[in-house]
Amino acid sequence: MTDGDYDYLIKLLALGDSGVGKTTFLYRYTDNKFNPKFITTVGIDFREKRVIYNNAGPGATQGKSFKVHLQLWDTAGQERFRSLTTAFFRDAMGFLLMFDLTSQQSFLNVRNWMSQLQANAYCENPDIVLIGNKADLSDQREVNERQAKELADKYGIPYFETSAATGQNVEKSVDTLLDLIMKRMEQCVDKTQVPDAVNGGNSGKLDEAKAGGRKCAC
Amino acid sequence: MTQNPEMVNLSYLSETEKDFILQVLQRDEELRKAEDRRIRRLKNELLDIRRKGAKRGSQRYSDRTCARCQQNVGRLLPKMNTCRSCNHLVCKDCRMETSTGGWKCNVCIKEAELKKSTGDWFYDQRVNRFANRLGSDLVRISLRRKPPAPGNKRETTAQTLLEYSQINEQKARKGQKSPQERPKGTGGVTGSPDLRDQRSDTESTEQMSISSYKMDSKRSTPTLSRRNSAEKMSTSQDGRKIYGPSGAKVDTLTVPVRSRDHHSDSEGEPRLGHRSGGSADESDAIFKKNPRRLLKPSDYSKSVIDLRPEEKPQETHMMGDRSKSVPGLNAEMDEEDEDIDNLVEIHRMTTARSSLRSGTSTSTLGSMMSIYSEAGDFGNVIVTGEIMFSMKYDGKTQILSVVVKECRNLAYADDVKHRSNPYVKSYLLPEKSRQGKRKTTIKRNTVNPLYGETLQYIVPESTLHTRTLQLSVWHHDRFGRNTFLGEVNVPLNSWNFDVVMDECLPLHGKGTAEASTYKGELVVSLKYIPPSKSTGGSERRKTKTDETGELQVWIKEAKNLTAVKPGGTSDSFVKGYLLPIKSRNTKRKTPVMKKSLNPHYNHTFVYNGIKPEDLQNTCLELTVWDREPLSSNDFLGGVRLGPGTGVYNGQPVDWMDSTGEELSLWTKMRQYPGSWAEGSIQLRPSMAKSK
Repeated sequence: MTDGDYDYLIKLLALGDSGVGKTTFLYRYTDNKFNPKFITTVGIDFREKRVIYNNAGPGATQGKSFKVHLQLWDTAGQERFRSLTTAFFRDAMGFLLMFDLTSQQSFLNVRNWMSQLQANAYCENPDIVLIGNKADLSDQREVNERQAKELADKYGIPYFETSAATGQNVEKSVDTLLDLIMKRMEQCVDKTQVPDAVNGGNSGKLDEAKAGGRKCAC
Repeated sequence: MTQNPEMVNLSYLSETEKDFILQVLQRDEELRKAEDRRIRRLKNELLDIRRKGAKRGSQRYSDRTCARCQQNVGRLLPKMNTCRSCNHLVCKDCRMETSTGGWKCNVCIKEAELKKSTGDWFYDQRVNRFANRLGSDLVRISLRRKPPAPGNKRETTAQTLLEYSQINEQKARKGQKSPQERPKGTGGVTGSPDLRDQRSDTESTEQMSISSYKMDSKRSTPTLSRRNSAEKMSTSQDGRKIYGPSGAKVDTLTVPVRSRDHHSDSEGEPRLGHRSGGSADESDAIFKKNPRRLLKPSDYSKSVIDLRPEEKPQETHMMGDRSKSVPGLNAEMDEEDEDIDNLVEIHRMTTARSSLRSGTSTSTLGSMMSIYSEAGDFGNVIVTGEIMFSMKYDGKTQILSVVVKECRNLAYADDVKHRSNPYVKSYLLPEKSRQGKRKTTIKRNTVNPLYGETLQYIVPESTLHTRTLQLSVWHHDRFGRNTFLGEVNVPLNSWNFDVVMDECLPLHGKGTAEASTYKGELVVSLKYIPPSKSTGGSERRKTKTDETGELQVWIKEAKNLTAVKPGGTSDSFVKGYLLPIKSRNTKRKTPVMKKSLNPHYNHTFVYNGIKPEDLQNTCLELTVWDREPLSSNDFLGGVRLGPGTGVYNGQPVDWMDSTGEELSLWTKMRQYPGSWAEGSIQLRPSMAKSK
């Protein structure tokens, strides 16, 4: 049960075609277990996990750690739930966009998912991690790494090949996403808190004060 | 009011699927409740820090005192610097390093932290996105009142869905039971009217959910039984069974994503109203349906008055009145809508306080003016000591029990004889009627009285979190007036009822309660349209606006307002002045939004004739009021948006006291002329100078 004893509540959401392993991936991440059975997700679901985030920022305050409560939304990949699941996109701060390395089709659909995201997420360029799952089934592989990497580069997002079965890269990919979000959060706050000098003139006093402050702050 | 709510039709879901999704949504609600409580706690903390010594505006704005701790730093200013965010001079002790290597004052740091930890960085962005998306010509749209209100920014899809499913269920219960439900439901008890009343009042999520839970248990209901059945079906929380769509009866779970007709709806409805009325903008964007319902002429509401003629001559004249920046203190004749008495009282309290302050070192303000002044109505005892008590709440009986244990080191009511006959009195604010008063016995001739007495209140769980426990200590005088010895105010929204523990709090003087509570937020968008250089000609706009410039103030919504009406609601409106002028000319008002603590005003104030340089010399004061037709209106909170320089035309003034978010929103607006700058700003509990 949650008790509110954390510093940040971060909401992530996993999306991708049906059967790429979103649920299993999250199960591996939260419980470190693997369930090979295919159970289709009914609409939406979520899991939770408490992690410690270490702020390894460039500043002097590095090494500060925060308690982060993760709410990991799992969505149904099936088309019939689409209107329901996309409605949840706007509530997530970051996305695990998954495809199945053993299914070329699921990879092709990544583009569609991307545009869905761009249309429905909280902003046009939300933090996303591209995940090719089922890396352990190397004999059935249909998508090669270079191909996927190129696509990820095109979108400017990180790419990971994971396996919920072995646990390979599962944690790493979520951590990367969390890191992106935390950095963005930092930027957002910085931007709004320290507006640059006011332009438009006529504000001599304010500008002077600001300039003075800046000089000394350095 | 007339249109049907937009629906996401989920009728394709089978009964079991619906149950399953509901279960997920309910889990989400648990999480959300905890989160909401956490956020409230954090916001209260920020207020605490702020009030500990924020120098606002010109109030004794000496270059040699730190704006935060108000210590005198001496002539050489070796340690003072200007905080980049709030523009105040701050000493070394009152600043913290930021992650980017610079520093800010501790209030600004805390504000930034809050923005992160409450998730506001995210919600603000989301609101902006979907708002912008809607408006191909947002400029003008914003001048009109859009039928759907933009939502509570924190609202999530899960929340909306859950609420609607609960509503639907309720409806089904109220009306004829649908055939699908009949075998399941045990009884056809409808929610009792008063229960529903309470619900319509409660606004914060946690209350909402609590009340809905209560509903559930009260009705021994479909929700519960369904939940059970769903649980039976699932093998465990983790491993799930497959629910095929096969065979399941297809019931309709229609989920309206927006409803804007709740105000006029029947009694049972308002509960969902304000929340869901909410996400209109966003859900619009999401469910891209029917994008043109925006501008119906009848919905326009705008107030435009050209200021130019009066502006100049009035400025100097009005200056004198600035000393009281409490709206209404100027006692304009046309101002029938404010509670003058109340305001005067606030004002008196603050002047009393500040006069005292000028003498003493204000670093002791941490305990918030424990000294009470001559000007008060409660005698002139210097408050000392503390009170020890514990609290517990029984959800079944709805009884809140406050055990007053003891007080220590109370002040002497009679200084000469060194006597006090103390007793403790309690109220569960905001109610302050005789029925709400509880008292302990009187202990004779002691300043360390032991009580061990229990004071009880019956409070529905749903409203518990809106209440504040006030414990005041009084000296009983058999012949004269009782003397005030101090009080504490405990907002119950941040009280941990899970553990029963003795709490020991220092007593403080009257009137500080207001300063310490979170009064809600106001969501405002500002835009400044600068005059275009080329006169008239090429531009299509009216030349009038072109010559000078226009300030647009889009009052979007307020959140978590204080409830002052019986039943825990408020009928609020927002009033605006463009200081220094505080007259009809700059007065703007929104319509009154009834029975909502999260009202969506969606109303735009327009001020014409504003030159770019004026923005450095003006301050927008927005105050929220509860409309009380038969008596005077209640003040609910306010903000001042301005450059926060503390000076006006070279003269120090107290109303140029914007800080933090207030200041940064103003700055953002000036920085990007012609585009909207939006902010969610915490309401000040009092507009009096230098809180």
